Parts: sequence; structure tokens; C-alpha cells
Amino acid sequence: MTRNDTFLIGQDDLILVTGATGFIGTSLVSGLLDRGFRNLRCFARPSSDKVRFGALAQGHPGAKIDVVTGNLLSRADCLSATRDAKLVFHLAAGTGHKSFPDAFMNSVVTTRNLLEAIGRHGCAQRFVSVSSFAVYSNMQNPTRRLLDESCPVESRPELRGEAYCYAKVRQEEFVIEHCKSSGLPYVIVRPGSVYGPGKAGITDRVGINTFGMFLHLGGSNSIPLTYIDNCADAIALAGLTKGVDGEIFNIVDDDLPTSRQFLRLYKRNVRRFRSLYVPHALSYTMCWLWELYSGWSKGQLPPAFNRRRWNAYWKKTRYTNDRLKTRLNWVPRVATADGLRRYFEGCRQSHA
Amino acid sequence: MLKIAIVGCGKIADDHAAAIQRIPDCEIIAVCDREPLMARQLMERFRIARHFTDMAALLDEARPDVVHITTPPASHFDLAKLCLEHGCHVYVEKPFTLFHHEAEKLVALAEKAGRKITVGHDAQFGHAARRMRALVASGYLGEVPVHMESYYSYELGQGYARALLGDADHWVRRLPGQLLHNLISHGIARIAEFLTTDSPEVIAYGFTSSFLSGIGETELIDELRVIISDKRTTAFFTFSTQMRPAIQQLRLYGSRNGLVLDTDQEILLKLRGGRFTSYAEKFVPPVLMARQYLSNALTNLGTFMARDFHMKSGMKYLIESFYRSIVNGTEPPIPYREILLTSWIMEAIFAQVQGPSARNHKRMPEPLLAAGSRVRQV
Repeated sequence: MTRNDTFLIGQDDLILVTGATGFIGTSLVSGLLDRGFRNLRCFARPSSDKVRFGALAQGHPGAKIDVVTGNLLSRADCLSATRDAKLVFHLAAGTGHKSFPDAFMNSVVTTRNLLEAIGRHGCAQRFVSVSSFAVYSNMQNPTRRLLDESCPVESRPELRGEAYCYAKVRQEEFVIEHCKSSGLPYVIVRPGSVYGPGKAGITDRVGINTFGMFLHLGGSNSIPLTYIDNCADAIALAGLTKGVDGEIFNIVDDDLPTSRQFLRLYKRNVRRFRSLYVPHALSYTMCWLWELYSGWSKGQLPPAFNRRRWNAYWKKTRYTNDRLKTRLNWVPRVATADGLRRYFEGCRQSHA
Repeated sequence: MLKIAIVGCGKIADDHAAAIQRIPDCEIIAVCDREPLMARQLMERFRIARHFTDMAALLDEARPDVVHITTPPASHFDLAKLCLEHGCHVYVEKPFTLFHHEAEKLVALAEKAGRKITVGHDAQFGHAARRMRALVASGYLGEVPVHMESYYSYELGQGYARALLGDADHWVRRLPGQLLHNLISHGIARIAEFLTTDSPEVIAYGFTSSFLSGIGETELIDELRVIISDKRTTAFFTFSTQMRPAIQQLRLYGSRNGLVLDTDQEILLKLRGGRFTSYAEKFVPPVLMARQYLSNALTNLGTFMARDFHMKSGMKYLIESFYRSIVNGTEPPIPYREILLTSWIMEAIFAQVQGPSARNHKRMPEPLLAAGSRVRQV
């Protein structure tokens, strides 16, 4: 068996990737193959597009890509998926859109099933849980403060009005609690806004499209972007690097553009549309009023906008990837300027 | 103070919990789900005191007055029966049961136990639907409707379609009426409300849309056309996933006037039975119709300003009416006859369109026609 002493596992050890057909998952699988790992099990929903793995396998002779379809809500599927896996990258998650139960079930219940299955086999050396920047509260941080891994997560995520945030906070809590009690080594990664070809649309951190008008809310804020390949590299290193068990890593790139710069480039390179800049004081007031009205009307308008969300998404904040660089020796493979160029090209093609 | 419990903590349970918490003199005291994490998340988000994973334990320990059953349809019958046997009143989400005979048993059991039961046909209790019911009761249509048209559209998104397509064991596939079983209750119930006999003739034609067949689906039927007829009233029912606009409408035509109800837009339009003289028929009705649209818009705005225009306002009204019937000992908001007739018509439709040998329109099989006579005896 080949073993690279730099990494936690050998190159023939089995790696399980859940959510393998997703936007990040595909890139992660490709990155692991490029690093010489030859034994991958890709877990995907039956309805996922699995064709791309055939091409990946052809490009990496000797590599074994075992595509397993199933549902993480099924304990039996989890048990068979995790058999013999030395390293588990758990990317699968439920966005849930507006449904809290859907997001929760497809994030927390699935994670519980997976962790229990891993525990029954007892052979995994690390569990990598992919979370999100969405878990950060940012309520107590003063404006322009650096947001790093030590910042608090939402203490009352159910009040954010965002199913994804609620599910991710509870998922993280479950992972930490379970792994500490069971002794399973774990790492949590929190990507910022992942972008790249294949992902259309503009992150809410720049603004929102509503009633036929794009409201630009970010202004001069930095946008915590991470290019898909850089993000996948960071996730891979979080799983493979020795001595980082129990740690949390934020994933953002260098040279982050401001919201205004991003929007200008998007309009120039992808398509023109009308946008209206909303100053921070005004957007904060609007979110507060919306929150008040939602409570007063007993949910006639759902609390989709509120002060918690404003603080998490639109407060002026700085970001760092220092821990990623110092602990995992991560270096962004694709510079932001190049990443944006590729992203805009992908957006143009999808709009064409 | 009515003590309420919810069993099944999925997506629709959120709507129930939110609606119940807007109703005075009741409190959700417990929730239950076989999956403890799901029970806990509902309890946490709605600040409910207790959660259970075992229904019998909930009934014994929390002792609710009313139980809302919001689980997948396959469990409706057993759970509702258990609740009735424990002396609870029961609100069952749609579809009421998988089979008509189960619906009959539940209604009979509720009557025997002196408890009330209802089904979540909340779309019949929106603001416009209630205005329509009042107009019909006032005799606006004439006598019973001569003809009805019920449209129930459902935009089948790529995500949902692919999830169904990729999962041969999806719970929707295991329903007797598959996708239709989960979706057509509201549209059928609207017709059942105005039918005068309990065993109408049902002729159904169902097929797989080109959209679904285009992505490899061969079994699921997602387009349905039905003719329903009793001795005095006929009805067309259209269910479609592909028709645009995706409307949810009921059109009632009486011997004097007609009505159009749009439950999506919360609009009720009166259709005059009479005609204007000569060219006036070309100019006056459009103006009158414009005035009606404006009136509907203003009514909706007023209801919104009064904080009574929630997306699921019909559900809140139905639940509140059901609770009132329990407290006051009056008839429940949905007559049992209507619940049974809806389940009977749905079963008749599925018998004709489901399965490889029943893709084209067929008359209802004799056993089901016979079942109709049983309905009348209830």
C-alpha cells in the first residue's frame, strides 16, 4: 500500500465523499484523484447526474471510483456507504430553501445517520463536515471587525428566518457533540460564497433580486468568495492533513473584491441589468422594520429579513484565511481575478 | 383552553403550528415524530413544551384534546384510529386516507366515540372561497350548480420530478394513486361540496406528461382529466403539471348566474346570467368585470392591512372552525358526507387511471359503483 507520510491516510485507503455530484463535490473528487488517491466512493442521490465520474476515472488510470446511490436518510444506505471508509468528506446537505424541516432533515438527520454508521464500522480516521459561513452570528462584532474561526455562531438560528442557517448550526452542534462523545476525529470547514463555472446567480451578500429590481446591499463590503477549485483544495487538505483534529477552518480566497467591484464586473462581463444601491443604514432600518412587521402581523410576512440576517450578510466585515494557510499549508490555486474571469465566462454561457 | 398535539414534524407541520399559535384559547402542548431530531426541531422553533417519539406515550402522558396528523398518508388511518380510541378529536391532513373503506371506518369510529374528525381541505376556506360559499347559500346561482369546472395545477419542478424519478421507493410511488393521490384532494373536494348524490358517475383519463416521459418516467401519471356526473350536476376536473398558467380555480355555473373562484389569487368573480341588449353586451360586461377585479384587489388589500391575509389563512380558518365545533358541540366545518365522497371519487379515479392496463379512459368498475351505495348509508 502506498503511503504518503504527509497525509493522514494512504493513497489506496478508501475515501467516502457524500454529495459527490454537487458543485463542490465534483471538484473535490477531481482534486483527490489529482493528489493520487485511487480509492474513492462517491455517494449520490439516485437522481444525480453520475456521468461525469466516468470521464474522471478515464483521466486517472488505476483509480477506482465507486459510485453508490442512495439516501442518507436511510440508515442501511449509510451503513453500506461508510463500510471500510478511512476518511469521510460529508458535503451532502439540504438547502431546504424556505422549509426549515426539509433543510434540517437533509442536513442534521442525514449527518446523524452517517456518524452512527461510521461509528458502527469503527474504521474512519477522520470525519470532515462541510458547513458554511452562514452559521456566523456577527451580531456582536463591531463594523469592520475581522471575522475568523473564533467568532460566535448564531445562538438562536431559528430567528434568522433562514432554513439553511438553522440546519447548518444544528448540524455543526451535532457533529461536535457526537464526535467528542464517540471519539471520532473530526474537522469542520466553513466555506464562504463558493463560485465558479456552473454556478449561476449572484450571492445574496452582494444583493437581492426582488420585484424586478436588483437591490445592491453590499456596497463597499468585501465579499467572502472562494473559487470552487480553491475551496475543494481546502476541504481536501482539511481531511488529509495530520494533527488538525477538532479544528474549524474558514475558507475564503485572497484579494477579495468589494460588492461594488463584483457587481460592476458582473454587469460588464455577463449582462446588464438595473440595480439600486441601498446604503447600509437604510438596509438595516428596512430589515428592522420588516422584522417588527413580521412579529406584529404574526407572520403575515415571514421574517425573511431581520437584523440577524443583516448582520450576517451585509455588515461591513473583513475576512481572513490565515488559519487555512498556517495549519493546512493551503495556497489558493486560482487567483481571484482569474476565478472571476472563468465564472463570468460560465455565466455568459448559461445565459446564452 | 384546548390542548393540541401534532404528530409528524415535517414541512406541513410548520404551517399547522403557525396557524394554531394564532388562534386564541388553545395551546400546542406536545409534538411527536418517530425521528427524535425532527420532533425536537419543531418543539424548539415553536417553543412547545414536550416532544415524543411514541404516539401512544404522547396520548397517555400529554392527554391532548385534539391531535393534528401531519404524517405521510400511509399512516393516517392507523394514527387517526388510535387517537379516536384515546378520546381525541382529530384533524387529518389531506389525503384523508389511502382507501375509501378506511375513510368510512374513521368517520364511523368518530361518530361512535362522540369525537369529531376533519380533513385538511384548507383551500376551501380561504377568504374568497368563503365569500363564494355565502353567495351560493344565498341562492345566487339558482338551485344546485348545473355544471362545475375545477382546475388544480401543480408546477412540477425539475428537482421534485428528478427526485421522484430517481427513487423507485419514494413514498409518493407507494400511494394507491401515486402522485395524483398526494395532489388532487383539494380540487376534488371542491366538486364534492356541491354534488347532490353520493355515487356520481366518474370517467377518468390520465397520462404521463411529455415533460415526465422526456426525462425517463413511464409509470407516474401527472395529467388527469375527469368527468363527474350525478343526476343534476356535471363537473369537469382538470389536474395538470404542465398547463400554464398553473391555475387553481373553481367555476360554478347555475341556472341563474355563475361564479369563478381563484384560490391562488384570492379572487371571486360573479358571472351574470343575463345579457345586455345589442351592442351593450360588448361594452358593459368588460367594464363590470374590471370593477369586480378592482374590488377584489381592494378587498385583498384591506384584509392584508387587517393582518388577516397569511398565505395559509384558509388553514387557520378551518382549524379555528373545527375547534369551535368541538367546544360548542356543533357540526364540524367539513361535513362527513363530503369527506367520504371526496375519498370515493378519488378511489374511482385511481381505479381507472393507475396501472399499466388502465391508461386510457374507462368507466368505473362495478365494485366501486357498488361502494357508492354504501356511502349513502352513512
